[in-house]
Amino acid sequence: MAENEDSKWAIAHVHASFNNTIITITDLTGAETLAKSSGGTVVKQNRDEASPYAAMQMAETVAEDVQSQGVEGVHVRVRGPGGNLQTNPGPGAQATIRALARAGLEIGRIEDVTPIPHDGTRSPKSSG
Amino acid sequence: MRVAVTGTPGTGKTTATELLASDFEVVHLNEVIREQELTTGHDDERDTLVADLDAVESWLGDREDVVVESHLAHEFDADRVVVLRCAPDVIERRLRERGESAESARENAESEALDVILGHAVQNHGEDSVYEIETTDRSPESVAAAIEAVIAGEREPSAGTVDYTDYL
Ligand SMILES: Nc1ncnc2c1ncn2[C@@H]1O[C@H](COP(=O)(O)OP(=O)(O)O)[C@@H](O)[C@H]1O
Ligand SMILES: [Mg+2]
Repeated sequence: MAENEDSKWAIAHVHASFNNTIITITDLTGAETLAKSSGGTVVKQNRDEASPYAAMQMAETVAEDVQSQGVEGVHVRVRGPGGNLQTNPGPGAQATIRALARAGLEIGRIEDVTPIPHDGTRSPKSSG
Repeated sequence: MRVAVTGTPGTGKTTATELLASDFEVVHLNEVIREQELTTGHDDERDTLVADLDAVESWLGDREDVVVESHLAHEFDADRVVVLRCAPDVIERRLRERGESAESARENAESEALDVILGHAVQNHGEDSVYEIETTDRSPESVAAAIEAVIAGEREPSAGTVDYTDYL
């Protein structure tokens, strides 16, 4: 198992809300969590929790953590406005991906799986 | 003046706006979209109609002194945008009780936890025009009163006052 090519890849789940960014790195099945960090654990001031700076620090920490577990690359699944809005708020997602790459992780597929609010109708705009 | 009342499905927009005492006409936009067939197609995965934003914009025209109520209301011109917020687990329960599928209730609750509508409202209108109202544990009457305070200019703009990411 440890020699398996797949074991060197993982999935980085980036949850980017207005106020917060959460990064969870799991194995490829999503079942096992290898590392987790939330904006709140890095920066205490509420509004800064989604800042690119906080996201960068978090990404560095989790990248180091999973690299020590043998992970070389991650596919990224982004959920949240931070993933598809061009401007503030939620700049955390873009910063996170850049920081994961800068920390030396290979970046594979980047998928935007932001949920779409809907009842009988939905907006055509939302991605995902 | 045009006031948009938006928020994730299940936050209580329709319930609260039906209780408004103001003279403004309330437009329940979802009904209009269905009845006037202001759509571009159907999202089969979600079993939901895809709204034709341009057609809705034309339908709204230059109506003044209206409250436009819908989770799409922030997509259109408005002087003030009210965003109703509610704890995601409460939304999920309400939508299940309203007969929506588990997947649909879950996706809406996740949208709420990620501030999807708040984010778009701020992106489209700017923080100076957005009024976030936390409704969890508030009565419909109290939510209606908070919306009336926005219409009357008695409330300051706000955004990012809740963090529901614990739900995720
Ligand atoms: N303030 C509230 N407190 C408790 N239940 C509420 C409140 N507002 C709405 N509800 C209930 O929640 C459900 C969804 O409300 P609704 O007004 O249809 O939401 P929306 O129009 O935002 O989708 C309804 O069953 C309604 O009775
Ligand atoms: Mg409604």
